[in-house]
Amino acid sequence: MEEKQSHADANLSPDPGGAGTEDRGPEKMISRQLTEQSRFAFAALCGVSLGQLFVGSENSVFKQQYLQGLVQWLDLDESVMPVMGAFLSGLGFEGTDTFLSILQADPLVAAGATPIIQDLVSLSVKEGQYDARARVLIRHVSCLLRVSPQQLEEFEETLGERLREAGEESEEESSRRRRRERGRKLRRYLLIGLATVGGGTVIGVTGGLAAPLVAAGAGAVLGAGGAAALGSAAGIAIMASLFGAAGAGLTGYKMNKCVGAIEEFEFRPMSSGKHLHLTIAVTGWLCSGKYSSFQAPWCSLGECGEQYCLMWESRFLRDLGSAMTTLLDGLVSMVAQEALKYTVLSGIVTALTWPASLLAAASVIDNPWCVCLNRSAEVGKHLAQVLRSRQQGQRPVSLIGFSLGARVIYYCLQELASDKGSEGVVEDVVLLGAPVDGSEKSWERMVRVVAGKIVNGYCRGDWLLGFLYRSSAAQLSVAGLQPINIQDRRIINVDLSSVVKGHLDYMRQMDTILVAVGVPTKEVPGASFLLPQSVKAAEKTVDNLDQARKEQQNNGLEEAELDDEHISWSWDDPHWTTERSPK
Amino acid sequence: MDEDVLTTLKLLIIGESGVGKSSLLLRFTDDTFDPEQSATIGVDFKVKTLAIEGNKAKLAIWDTAGQERFRTLTPSYYRGAQGVILVYDVTRRDSFTKLENWLNELETYTTRNDIVKMLVGNKIDKDDREVDRNEGLKFARKHSMLFIEASAKTKDGVQCAFEELVEKILQTPGLWESDNQGQKVQLGHQEQGRGRACGGYCSIP
Repeated sequence: MEEKQSHADANLSPDPGGAGTEDRGPEKMISRQLTEQSRFAFAALCGVSLGQLFVGSENSVFKQQYLQGLVQWLDLDESVMPVMGAFLSGLGFEGTDTFLSILQADPLVAAGATPIIQDLVSLSVKEGQYDARARVLIRHVSCLLRVSPQQLEEFEETLGERLREAGEESEEESSRRRRRERGRKLRRYLLIGLATVGGGTVIGVTGGLAAPLVAAGAGAVLGAGGAAALGSAAGIAIMASLFGAAGAGLTGYKMNKCVGAIEEFEFRPMSSGKHLHLTIAVTGWLCSGKYSSFQAPWCSLGECGEQYCLMWESRFLRDLGSAMTTLLDGLVSMVAQEALKYTVLSGIVTALTWPASLLAAASVIDNPWCVCLNRSAEVGKHLAQVLRSRQQGQRPVSLIGFSLGARVIYYCLQELASDKGSEGVVEDVVLLGAPVDGSEKSWERMVRVVAGKIVNGYCRGDWLLGFLYRSSAAQLSVAGLQPINIQDRRIINVDLSSVVKGHLDYMRQMDTILVAVGVPTKEVPGASFLLPQSVKAAEKTVDNLDQARKEQQNNGLEEAELDDEHISWSWDDPHWTTERSPK
Repeated sequence: MDEDVLTTLKLLIIGESGVGKSSLLLRFTDDTFDPEQSATIGVDFKVKTLAIEGNKAKLAIWDTAGQERFRTLTPSYYRGAQGVILVYDVTRRDSFTKLENWLNELETYTTRNDIVKMLVGNKIDKDDREVDRNEGLKFARKHSMLFIEASAKTKDGVQCAFEELVEKILQTPGLWESDNQGQKVQLGHQEQGRGRACGGYCSIP
């Protein structure tokens, strides 16, 4: 019997090395071993969460399908679907605590809920599509079940590389694999390779090289049945869909020359390995010296999937950067700058209040600024096309950018929002000092296409932004100068005034800013992570969430989440309530 | 359709396992009956719009599982319910004697003190009756509940049970409020001092 079994294994997967962990029957999945009431509670918990997180009608198909899949996955009777439908429509929220306590009382979960979260991830990528909304749900449920974001991230990484490996194996002969295995090195090694080789091949090679490492540890990390349903044959298909068919993904993306208004548009990887999600960072301008590259401001970006950096219009961004530096370091005196800061702070920004000395110097910067404003909008639209065509694979994308980079993202989202069916592509968005219209109308539109949260980091005293925007029609509401007043669980306003003293600080203080807006960061030698006192730091546990929410409502402040090593990018569950019961 | 709905009411069906809660609900909402009705997993949910004296009320009915293993789930559904249907099986004395326990649970978890309660003795089509109609009536009176005997199989009293319950809720001021948005039933709106909801009972043919 045992022989027969292993024979079947060999038939299923061409690579005997990977067979061990793959061909487990579905009965090995931990979530199926739960008692029926726990399985019901689990499905109900997901249903209720989905109902809270995604209210709009545009998400109803996704919610329904996802929950249907989950019910089947959990081997629950079809008769529970009507009540699941009720949960999805936002009813039965009062049961959340009950579901949680039932789940946590289950002997299989008592030791920790990580296995069932892992199952949920496996379910979500089963079809080769990792929807951003599914990931937001998983983050939400992990938070409820006290599974740390790091654990989730770790599992996703392992699963991603494992799927990748399955794909690689199918294409290459096992002799080649063995040769590679002989030169087995730690993944850190690959970073070096990544820096030297360019283009799409890098990712391909990386995936292959990283595979042996994963093969060794996959069984341990994936746990019992973590990827049980993802057999090797299915793995290949999933991989192709998940990571983009060509395998090259974003790095291999070449801009069509026809895109008239854009000179430069290219992605550069900033991290190695394969993840189930990715982050694209967009830089706002380029300076000389330390910040002469697009990647430079993002060096402390921590665990947020694969990291890419968008290279765009460097010629113009360099012009703008030097104009800004000239303006700040020479043309406008420090005294004047301080005065300007308070002028802007007091909110009397009209064209008339600008000092003559500044207006005289305006010619230095107005031209590059205007060019970049236009270009960034174009680049944003192009980025939307890239994301919509899923060059990145069927994975959730998070976007982060400052200044004009934030403008790129803003236009990208606007473009996505004008298109039906763009939901579930973008997970989280962080806009810092964005020179864009901050009116509610325009933001409400784009909220729809973001599954997770939209962080608007602004600085009230950013006189340069106020000045540059003086001639624009939207000067009275610039997102980078003020909070966005929308009652939506997704919008999170962060006042960065205590960190950002001037517009240039968005680049110089990026490490601190990332901490303040709750983006995971990593230690970089020489970088300081100390937050100024005035940026309140509070650990957001569920216990003080109520308070945090209140404060957030009151002053639009998102409190920074501080941890010694990692800043977790956590999901705060009850945000939705603010929207349901507006004050 | 939602616009002419006066209010949305949250109803709850509770009772021992196998007394026919789901069958009653199915008979009411879909007018079907399945003799092989399987045990409810967790909780079931159905929506039905009911017209009472020209007023349309949308009923959101939560049908709980009677099985012991799902008992932990039930309490969360008491919250905010305006009406509750307590079901027993007239051919099973134990399902009748356990009614006290259910009332206690109801008392513990409900968020309003004026919730309208309806006692339903199910399966009157069966011959081996163990609980007399008068016993049920007495129990209902003692606990100020509405009372009806019904049969999900033969349709007897099912429609009446729900109609009576909804009518009673609509007659109780402060228990419900008109909502234009359709599905929100606000909690915490309790008017004290209204006393017990009702002492009445309805007779069945």
